Amino acid sequence: MVFLTPLFLFGLLAALIPIAIHLIRKEKPPKLLFSTIRFMKKTSKKLVLFQQLQQLFLLMLRAGVLALLVLAFARPLFDQTLARLVDSDPQSAVILLDVSMSMRYGNTFELAKEAALDLLDTMTSGDEVALVAFSGSAEFVNELDTDIESIRSRINGIVEPGYQSTRYMPNLRLADQLLEDSRYENRAVYLISDFQAIGDDDVRDNWKFAPGVAFTGIDVGNERSENLSITDVRSPDQLLEDNSVQEILARVRSTGNAYLDRGEVSLVLNGDVIDRRSIDLANKSEEVISFTANFADTGSYVGEIRVSGDSFSPDNSYYFTVDVLPKINVLVVNGEASENWFDDEGHWFSLAVSGTAQSPFELTTVEPEEMTASLLRQNDVAVLLNVGSLSSAQAASLTSFVEEGGSVLFAPGDRVEATTFNSLFADVTPALIQPSTNIDDYLVIADFDRRHPILRPLNTDWSARFQQYWALQAVADAQIIMQFDSTEAAFVERKVGAGRAMIFASSLDLEWNNLALQGLYLPFVHETLRHLVQAESGARAFTVGDSFSVGRPDANQNVSVIDVDGSEYSLNAQDPTVRAEKPGVLVAVNGAMRANYAINVQARESNFGKLPVTNLYDRIINPDTSPIQSREVQTAQMIREIEGPQRIWWWLLCLVAVLIVAEVIIANRTYR
Amino acid sequence: MSERANFLDPTVLAGLDNLELRARIAVEGFVSGLHKSPHRGFSVEFNDYRNYYPGDDMRHVDWKLYARSEKFYIKQYEDETNVRCMIVLDCSASMAYASGSLTKLDYGITLASALAYFIMQQRDAVGLITFDEALKDYIPPKCRQPHLMRILRSLAQTSAAKKTNAIRPLTDLAASLRKKSMVILITDMLDDEDRVITTLQNLRAMGNDVIVFHLMDDAELNFPFNEASEFVDMENNESYITSPAAIRSVYLENLNEYLSFCKKQCQSSGVDYCLMNTSKPLDEALSAYMTKRAKSF
Repeated sequence: MVFLTPLFLFGLLAALIPIAIHLIRKEKPPKLLFSTIRFMKKTSKKLVLFQQLQQLFLLMLRAGVLALLVLAFARPLFDQTLARLVDSDPQSAVILLDVSMSMRYGNTFELAKEAALDLLDTMTSGDEVALVAFSGSAEFVNELDTDIESIRSRINGIVEPGYQSTRYMPNLRLADQLLEDSRYENRAVYLISDFQAIGDDDVRDNWKFAPGVAFTGIDVGNERSENLSITDVRSPDQLLEDNSVQEILARVRSTGNAYLDRGEVSLVLNGDVIDRRSIDLANKSEEVISFTANFADTGSYVGEIRVSGDSFSPDNSYYFTVDVLPKINVLVVNGEASENWFDDEGHWFSLAVSGTAQSPFELTTVEPEEMTASLLRQNDVAVLLNVGSLSSAQAASLTSFVEEGGSVLFAPGDRVEATTFNSLFADVTPALIQPSTNIDDYLVIADFDRRHPILRPLNTDWSARFQQYWALQAVADAQIIMQFDSTEAAFVERKVGAGRAMIFASSLDLEWNNLALQGLYLPFVHETLRHLVQAESGARAFTVGDSFSVGRPDANQNVSVIDVDGSEYSLNAQDPTVRAEKPGVLVAVNGAMRANYAINVQARESNFGKLPVTNLYDRIINPDTSPIQSREVQTAQMIREIEGPQRIWWWLLCLVAVLIVAEVIIANRTYR
Repeated sequence: MSERANFLDPTVLAGLDNLELRARIAVEGFVSGLHKSPHRGFSVEFNDYRNYYPGDDMRHVDWKLYARSEKFYIKQYEDETNVRCMIVLDCSASMAYASGSLTKLDYGITLASALAYFIMQQRDAVGLITFDEALKDYIPPKCRQPHLMRILRSLAQTSAAKKTNAIRPLTDLAASLRKKSMVILITDMLDDEDRVITTLQNLRAMGNDVIVFHLMDDAELNFPFNEASEFVDMENNESYITSPAAIRSVYLENLNEYLSFCKKQCQSSGVDYCLMNTSKPLDEALSAYMTKRAKSF
């Protein structure tokens, strides 16, 4: 038995009214003074018992009348026909279950699972169901299958949602694709989510479901959510040891449906709370909190900005790392030293390297004949400025230095003789040099690798003019990262053993070009030296969902990883890639190197602004889809079609009429 | 006729505080509706003289004889009436029952006062006995006007209480009656009706005329109750919870059986039995008395 309007069944409580009245009025009868009771005492006990039975019967009759009335209004029907009809029209359904971070709010995810399981309960044998658990992309997919129990167990097996951000469109497309191979024409997509507005980020996408695919959005989100989130933290990635006191900025917003204007933000460094601040968002939409932190010692620091005072904790911490580095020791081998600064090959380079107030470099300048193996080992990088010749021993020392992990930068000038250079440094130079032929006109930098760590921050127009240069012939394993407008290589890089070598096609003073007079000269020199020394130092801040490498490309040993939850595992040196699943700090140990990686949630996911389901429906439903395609509507229509001929309600009302007549007759014959 | 009916309406009469006025209105309202009475003009005839004693009414001094003998003689007449009437009023607790505003006792008092007034108007002697489980008041029959006031005063002070025991006052009355008298019993008969009727039969056997005005409230006669109630007996405080509608037929059957018994027993022994519904006018009672008196004298 099923009902067309089951909500009326709540009216069955009305059947309790006669019983309640019976119980309430079951009080002691009123006393009545009478002249004598002598004429009453002969009343038959059987008569009294009969009257009690009559009253009980009347009570049941009245309760029954009300119950039957309610049943009639609920429009009952026998469901055998319905089941047969429903079975005859099986459907293919895709359940999209949101497992993004926002589903962690309160009991939202439990409600979502219940909704999914309820949905499965409505499926009949023969229906095929697919399950897609998604956030920004599909976390896992169970393709269309008639084994509904396996889908059910899969849903029950989802312990908790993830930490990634929501995106609806890619997953709706996926659902549509899954339905392309469906067995049945009756196709439907059920989206169970909290319907964050940020999930519908691709508003210009005019994509729609295939014709005939019905869509039902099941909103399990909270109408009222309170959340404070840290949308951004500005902190230095790397510091030099002398630059210890730093300002750290944190931006805090109220991103729930209900506005929160009070909270507390604290700075934690290496597990110690450094500072706490109250925030007041009464008159502003966000507040920027400034903390001062002291990074006195060299090494890695793990920082955390915590906010408290809301109901949603997953986005209450923002992690960052700060590496305090020792200064980089740079050995400049000046091939054309001079007491006059304008003749000195290393003058402009030295100015660029150590001319700033807080230089990250420790500079040592020597003449070519002074360069020794021990001197090389005391430095991190060797820069050979217009060095024409070295002894074979010096060249061998340089090669060993580079192969063991050191770095070298060649900037050949007029004192360099190509044959000698090519023979001395054949094992380390990224390119062989040849005298240039094009000396009639100056050249400019026309192209460079904008993704290269050196040139990424220098992505601008290079206006330096090069009158003279060496034609570079890059060796096989070298990489050209900068070219002249003649298409000849201008800057080449090569990995040599554990070290790295780079060669610039022209001098680094004003003798062959005017690069030293350009604003880009200093950052170019700095970035080049940093890259040569810290080539392995990549990004240390990621968001959940990112995949990144935690190994050194030139390393041969496996990388030990301590994940954010404390679990440890090892990664192959050939593919030391991890996927950030949870917010926190991940530690990668690669030999003697230990690197911290800060993983944070996507700030957009903290925004609980709601997307009306109808808006999404209007955008994605195909105009050619019949509006009665959804299962609920279809079932309701079937029920109406079946209920009409059965007309059980009519018979019930007839029975009610008969019972009312019986009640009137019996009530008039029953004494109170 | 309508005015007469109004004056005899017991509820209208009960609204009058002055019992004498109440009785007079009832009687005059009744009498004005009658034809001229054949019993008017009972003469007062001389019988004898006696010596004057201080305090005697000077109007009764025979002044002609004084002129002849210079002594004061008081003229004595034959008895002024040929009827001695005793009204016996039941004042038991059950008489306090009323379904409306008028209790059976009120009705009985009005009836008794009207009868007394009526009897006195006809120069008959009237007395009064009130009782419940014992004798409450006894006023011997006389026919003088101040005596009526005494009777009315006694009636006015009467209230209903205690159980009914009509045997004792009726027995005492029978013993005290030396002449043929008329005994008017106003009661609801909620007593041992066998013994009461037996006593009345004895009174009748002694040559007295006996009229029983059996007062019943309309609710007692028709039992119009519907709601389940706990009925409390006004005389013995016993209670009985029942559904009136369920027992109505049984009640009425029992009641009619009882009333039939009373009527049959009374009639078989020559006792006039008059069942009075207290919602009905008093003329029925007065008419019954008139009929009885006409037959007897």
